[in-house]
Amino acid sequence: MKKFINDPKNFVPEMLKGLALANPDTLKYVPEYNLIHRADAPNADKVTIIQGSGSGHEPAHVMTVGRGMLDAACPGDVFAAPPVDYVYETTKLLASPKGVLLLVNNYTGDRMAFEMAQEMARADGIRVEMLFIDDDVAVEDSLYTIGRRGVAGNFFVMKAVGAAAEAGADLDEIIRIGEKVNSVTRTMGVALTACTPPAKGSPLFDLGPDEIEIGIGIHGEPGRRRGKLVSADEIVDDILGAVITDLPFTSGDRVALMVNGLGGTPISELYLLYGLAHEKLVSAGITVGRNYVGEYCTSLDMAGASITLVKLDEEIEALLAAPAEIPIRVF
Amino acid sequence: MKTRSIIDTEFVVRSIAETAIENEEAFCELDSVVGDGDFGYSLARGFEKVLEEWDVFDRTDSSIFLKSIAHTITSRIGGTSGPLWGTAFLRASTAVRGRDAVGGADVVAMLRAAIAGIKDRGKSDVGDKTLLDALVPATDALEVAVAQGSSFEKALDEAAKAARVAADATSSLQARRGRASYTGERSIGSPDAGAVAVAIILERLTVEARAR
Repeated sequence: MKKFINDPKNFVPEMLKGLALANPDTLKYVPEYNLIHRADAPNADKVTIIQGSGSGHEPAHVMTVGRGMLDAACPGDVFAAPPVDYVYETTKLLASPKGVLLLVNNYTGDRMAFEMAQEMARADGIRVEMLFIDDDVAVEDSLYTIGRRGVAGNFFVMKAVGAAAEAGADLDEIIRIGEKVNSVTRTMGVALTACTPPAKGSPLFDLGPDEIEIGIGIHGEPGRRRGKLVSADEIVDDILGAVITDLPFTSGDRVALMVNGLGGTPISELYLLYGLAHEKLVSAGITVGRNYVGEYCTSLDMAGASITLVKLDEEIEALLAAPAEIPIRVF
Repeated sequence: MKTRSIIDTEFVVRSIAETAIENEEAFCELDSVVGDGDFGYSLARGFEKVLEEWDVFDRTDSSIFLKSIAHTITSRIGGTSGPLWGTAFLRASTAVRGRDAVGGADVVAMLRAAIAGIKDRGKSDVGDKTLLDALVPATDALEVAVAQGSSFEKALDEAAKAARVAADATSSLQARRGRASYTGERSIGSPDAGAVAVAIILERLTVEARAR
């Protein structure tokens, strides 16, 4: 393993310290709870939006804290849901009289931690609701899992509820919007290599030099199947096809198209994928209204990408277009 | 002065904590076959915290002691382990609330309460390829041994043996909960890390109980 680390145990705190030092005017860091929050939060005039999740997916979610996006993120260690305390203390510290919305990617550990924290915060009289994000089409069989996973599509839910909260919408309205965006968002990923968690020090799973994992999860969980490395064209056909047929997206639809890098793929390859996906959508009669290319939700250093489609309507498009200021978008 | 049951409870919790810390790498390896490889790490960090705070836990009785351990586990361990193990310790504590002495039947009651807690919190059951697959048969074996009047060391040994057999048998199961569940049929062929951890903990407890 070759990584810029000191002690693997300090990987997350040292990253968060760097993030806070680089954004002294806009972000605050509370080391006890891995908490990064907006310097101006809580704000009594807006609902507080908090996301937890594990670390290792940056910029999600600590680097999407800012105006028009999250008020706070309190991640756990790499790929591990945050301890209940982190979520509970963050909720207490940033509670607004208008309420708190916890955004939770749908995984066993995250669900348990957030549900326990929500119970505890409610016992303190805080109005706190929860919204689960589950955009990953790779998980087909909910009989054997707790359901679909939350992956890169969580960006669109964050962006939409963040914009609505900034505009002063109440908690019920924000939940309606978040559920609506989640319901029209679909993602599927593909891995070219495994990622290496700092504490493990070696690749999380074995993937042969000529193999790819179709439907990969953002923690290296297997997807639908393992296949041979084929052309970018064939991979986009495969991934995009799975996404399109799932909702389904049909001719005449207007969509947001995201090509998300999983951490170890250069932006050049992501734009190559974007071009292919864009053209395939156009030839299917689908209009690309908004596009997103880059790293939004990664899996440490994994080479690979995911494709997300969001079915747009006027309300969603306006929320996605609303201004936002987060650390990775400051020039 | 510490009561006998506090000394026994301390012994069990300390043994679990030390097993978790010493087996960090082994548990991670087991988890990385079909899970995400952080099980040993989460558990070790949490139980390190338990040992760090060891001297400050309230020792009024076994129930209160376990409740404070549960609080540390729940609040400090991330991933799935914090809520599950924390809930298990909390429910075990309530099973012996207000009791001065803790006997074999109480241990069975504590484990039954812990199992119910894990099922509720994780929305899971026996057969889902989780730690329940070892914990439930181990508790069954312990209950039988206690009912037959076996010594606690003997009962523990029976529980450890049942846990090991059951943990090994999880290899043939398909995971239905946690990160491993996404591997679908590929989870078949290797044992569940949580179930194996239960077996290792009970085996070590058996050895240490004999040496006491």
